[in-house]
Amino acid sequence: MVARPRVGLLHNPTTSALLAHAGALVEHVSAMPERLWFDFGSQAPRGRRFHRAHAAIDELKAALDGPPSRSFAGHGLGLSLPSAMTLDEDMVDAVAAMTRRLGGCSWYSEHLNLFLTPKGGVPNAQAGLGLPVVYDEESFALIAAKLARLRDAVGCRVLLENGSFFTPVPDLDLSEPEFLNRLHREGHCGTLLDLHNLLVNERNGGTPMADYVAELDLDAVEEVHLAGGDDEEGFYMDSHSTPTPEVVWALAFDVLPRCRHLRAITFEYQESYFEDIGLAALTRELERMHVLAEACARDDVPEAAQAEAADAR
Amino acid sequence: MLADFQQALSDITASPALCRALRADPTVLRDRYALTEREAARLCAIAAHPGMNAACTVYRMNRLAPLAMNLRGTLRALGPALRRTIDAYWVDHPRGHAHFYVESCRFADWLAQGIAAGLAVPEAVPGELARETTLVRTALAASCTEDADR
Repeated sequence: MVARPRVGLLHNPTTSALLAHAGALVEHVSAMPERLWFDFGSQAPRGRRFHRAHAAIDELKAALDGPPSRSFAGHGLGLSLPSAMTLDEDMVDAVAAMTRRLGGCSWYSEHLNLFLTPKGGVPNAQAGLGLPVVYDEESFALIAAKLARLRDAVGCRVLLENGSFFTPVPDLDLSEPEFLNRLHREGHCGTLLDLHNLLVNERNGGTPMADYVAELDLDAVEEVHLAGGDDEEGFYMDSHSTPTPEVVWALAFDVLPRCRHLRAITFEYQESYFEDIGLAALTRELERMHVLAEACARDDVPEAAQAEAADAR
Repeated sequence: MLADFQQALSDITASPALCRALRADPTVLRDRYALTEREAARLCAIAAHPGMNAACTVYRMNRLAPLAMNLRGTLRALGPALRRTIDAYWVDHPRGHAHFYVESCRFADWLAQGIAAGLAVPEAVPGELARETTLVRTALAASCTEDADR
């Protein structure tokens, strides 16, 4: 059987317009549960914290139902797994309830960034800001335990996405690829490789993209994110405001065919840039993603693994 | 300890003043956080990293995002007074709320109370604030749908 990764989008309020224009090119949809509810916060009375955003849920359901019907993955931001805090169990329950409501997901991913601290944290909105993680034994044990709980709650495979940040932590015990490799090797999760995050880090003085990829176990990679950003006051922002830069495409065509367990290639754009990017450019992006997916076609993958990916909901 | 390291990292990102203080005096965090020598050295290196300017800027952009979306006219009316107003609000409310309407209502109430107590703002602010507060309260009420599945 010849198999290849699916071509997908991260869902946002403009996705329906893109699907109406180029829906045949979209085989997979990822969605952030935090955009499907209103979170009134931990101060809200128990059982009254999360309120469904019905319009967003209905739009997502329509996108998944197609035609064509599409595979679905959850992509969370709010759990902040690296935080040295207990897991937000109410949010875990809400994530599980939302995925059940959508018929289940093929996999669920979270970010390898810090967004919450006991007395604060950093907000993540338009331009993206996650704080870097200390890669050591303590963080490993903390994250591994939370991944196990999350996996049980959502009932599917869990992936962690490599982070983007402006300030790397010096003097680490492990590099980020080593940390992700170990999580995979010990069975805690797979890797969501965001190639644009690698560019953000490289452009802002972090690890060169090629060095990062050379260190990463490509067998751990099950989803890849593509996106574009822009320059702001001398820094490169993960703003999801443009099509994928050529340097990221070049890396993708080099690396992805070697990712034997890749299930989806997903493009992320921020809805406020929908008009600026335009339907024509978004369609070209999807068409090029199909060329990339074809370059990843392989016939040595067990059918069960593909069936898992195809068995969306 | 890791929790204090993470809190200190978050705090120097949220507060350019604290970040500058750390650059000037590497011991400034010692009384506030329980840090190992290695953690303290990491924080000093991060504070001195050129990317810290971008991190502080993006923090402010993101923290401002809900207000820019829901109270755009009020922010515009504040004009040059916006920066000191926002700084004062963030001192009183150091942690943003994930629900954008809650955050926007909280800021609107804080600003209205400040104006009532004599806070000097441009002439157009009270009117814009009253108009937009009504809209955001309506949106907040509409977001309070039935509870999510348990």
